[in-house]
Amino acid sequence: MNERYEALSAAISARFGTALSSVSSHCGELTWEVDKTDLIRVVTALRDEDEFRFEMLVDVCGIDYLSYGQAEWQTDEATSTGFSRAAVPVNIVPDADTTFEPRRFAVVYHLLSISRNWRVRLRVFPGIENPPVVPSVVDVWAGANWFEREAFDLFGIQFEGHPDLRRILTDYGFIGHPFRKDFPVVGNVETRYDPDQGRVIYQPVSIEPRTLVPKVIRTDNRYASELKDEPEHE
Amino acid sequence: MGLTNSEIQQLAAVNLSKPETPQELLDQRGFWVTNADALYNWARTGSMWPVTFGLACCAIEMMHAGAARYDLDRFGVMFRPSPRQSDVMIVAGTLTNKMAPPLRKIWDQMPEPKWAISMGSCANGGGYYHYSYAVVRGCDRIIPVDVYVPGCPPTAEALIYGILQLQEKIRRTNTIAR
Repeated sequence: MNERYEALSAAISARFGTALSSVSSHCGELTWEVDKTDLIRVVTALRDEDEFRFEMLVDVCGIDYLSYGQAEWQTDEATSTGFSRAAVPVNIVPDADTTFEPRRFAVVYHLLSISRNWRVRLRVFPGIENPPVVPSVVDVWAGANWFEREAFDLFGIQFEGHPDLRRILTDYGFIGHPFRKDFPVVGNVETRYDPDQGRVIYQPVSIEPRTLVPKVIRTDNRYASELKDEPEHE
Repeated sequence: MGLTNSEIQQLAAVNLSKPETPQELLDQRGFWVTNADALYNWARTGSMWPVTFGLACCAIEMMHAGAARYDLDRFGVMFRPSPRQSDVMIVAGTLTNKMAPPLRKIWDQMPEPKWAISMGSCANGGGYYHYSYAVVRGCDRIIPVDVYVPGCPPTAEALIYGILQLQEKIRRTNTIAR
């Protein structure tokens, strides 16, 4: 991390204290974890105060940590056991209907200060409640509108205070949130034209899911250890 | 009919030579004889107007086929901005579930006779997105397809070849039943 970012890191620590907790990163990037009750206060200060000036919100995205860190293809044994072509699917146990694991979902904000040439990443965990809820930052950065709609559409994360929280990408009347790890990749319905009814209809999906590209997590020395973050939780 | 000798000789010479091209035939007789099927198919294959309808990267190749280098105008293929004026639909790209009802609606708005060309892997059978939750596994689930053009995306040449194949298919069609 260069000196400018160390100065920024110190300034953020001094300004917000325990409201922000730094996440270790070895790539020279700053990531902070924010409690969702502090989010609006923190991002407003980061936008307005002269020492930060994060005028621009680059991206808002959701994360589902359900199968985080679990590879589908163990390559360590490849030389001794033969190179298996078979993927080992991650065993996904859906959460109970009422609550989630406390660190199951996250919302990540990428901030950019054009005047200071700084970038900062903020991460917020919605917590255990179902549906997951975090405060909307549309009133701070108007550009968050469609980003938050996307995160709502794909992950089912609700943004409290959003003016128009509708689906943005998926089909009209789509059920489910496709980027959740417990959503089947082939989906639940498919479309075809029904000549009897004279319109395009939905029917239950007719194909079996299949792993075409297994998720592989490399641990060999091709990826230098200083480039990697340790998993935050298991 | 006061023909001069030289004119009579000219006409006789023309009648003696066997016509080799349709133009020579027309010059000699002033008319052609053909059957109605061939006439219809000649008209149809010579002016296949596709509806301007692109869904993904295949549409870029479709534009290349229509632009200066390959110039689909040479084949009488001119993109029309309205399905009411179109004969062909080129399904160029990934057909998603969300787009399937509009695609069918545009197809239904096209007047008969009409044909469909499925362009690229995604339109042929889902392609790269076959196992996706959002993509129709082949546009022939939505509309009847005449010609499938493989490729990801097919080159402009491949699309033109597909259009020529469709012309061949139309020429084989008998519109007037015997």
